[in-house]
Amino acid sequence: MTASISVVHLFNVARGESEAAELSDAITERHLADWEGEWMPALFNAVRRLKRKGVPTREWPQSSHWNWRRKVNALHGILASPGFSIVCNGMTQGLMMVDTATHRCRVDSQNGKHLVYIEYVENAPWNRPELFDPPRFRGVGSILIRAAVALSEELEFRGRIGLHSLPQADSFYANTCGMTDLGADLDYEGLRYFEMTPKQARAFVTWGRLP
Amino acid sequence: MKLRISKAWCTRMAELEGDTEIGAGRLAIDPPFDGETIPVVDRFDEPNIAFGRLNNLMRRRRGLSIEGLAMAANVTVTELVEIENDVRYNPSLQTIDKLASYFNLPRSGLMQMAGLTASKDASLSERAVRYVARTESTAELTPEENAALEGFMAVLSEQK
Repeated sequence: MTASISVVHLFNVARGESEAAELSDAITERHLADWEGEWMPALFNAVRRLKRKGVPTREWPQSSHWNWRRKVNALHGILASPGFSIVCNGMTQGLMMVDTATHRCRVDSQNGKHLVYIEYVENAPWNRPELFDPPRFRGVGSILIRAAVALSEELEFRGRIGLHSLPQADSFYANTCGMTDLGADLDYEGLRYFEMTPKQARAFVTWGRLP
Repeated sequence: MKLRISKAWCTRMAELEGDTEIGAGRLAIDPPFDGETIPVVDRFDEPNIAFGRLNNLMRRRRGLSIEGLAMAANVTVTELVEIENDVRYNPSLQTIDKLASYFNLPRSGLMQMAGLTASKDASLSERAVRYVARTESTAELTPEENAALEGFMAVLSEQK
């Protein structure tokens, strides 16, 4: 299967302007090599800096222990588990993996309907404000969520998506994405579960068009 | 799946997103960092012939012994010996980081050569082997090497 590439734009913080990037509907060896060769050492060094500065572990990045290669290998070839990636400046800036088959809506108005469930989404370490000040690029999360909404629409799920947010990211999903917060999910280690309804999906796509 | 997302939408959303964290997904699946020990990545079980040779040549170009390089690059002697002599040895990410920095070489390329990541370039492995073959020394043994070889052969003979 050949990956489709769409042109998107990330905001380059240092230059103060948008920069063209590539959104791909796949996670390939090239992205995993970036994760191993660039993300992991950057993340490790950043976490070590936090530790040596005495920052408590609860404030460390919560996805620092993820192993994308293991996840991608585990799900390789499963059509219901596509991945997405964003590349800018020749480097992978964000990764996302979704499940289109096994999850159903929980929000009352959509209860039991199909949705695109976001298994994992992560920003490159240098785009994360808790690790790098200032971060290099902004907008990775919004574009990946937009991709999940588009996939949901393509599958005739009408833009419905769901995910379990890391605690540090709750405000992004509640405020920037406008998703419904269904509270802490004890089956998912207490992470808060968020869902986007078709109406919220339309609003999310529209917000970016507002002046 | 091809998407059409305007530059204006991306710019506006980047502004709204600001510097917020975006991570989502279940925790505690993989072992966590302790802040000091670098995590182990999945290894590729291919012999990394070229990496040890590269390290050997870069070290000798600078006129360093293994001990000298260990001190200069802040790497352990044991690990350098393994790197130069064991084609299936996978060095740690920390060591790659230090050697890349000391020799001023690209870290991702070095990681591929060391077998820590799969090669982005399918021909890299083949080219690396050719490069190793070209750098194989044809010089006669020095008196010290001759003495060491004879001593080693003598030990081997005793094993019969």
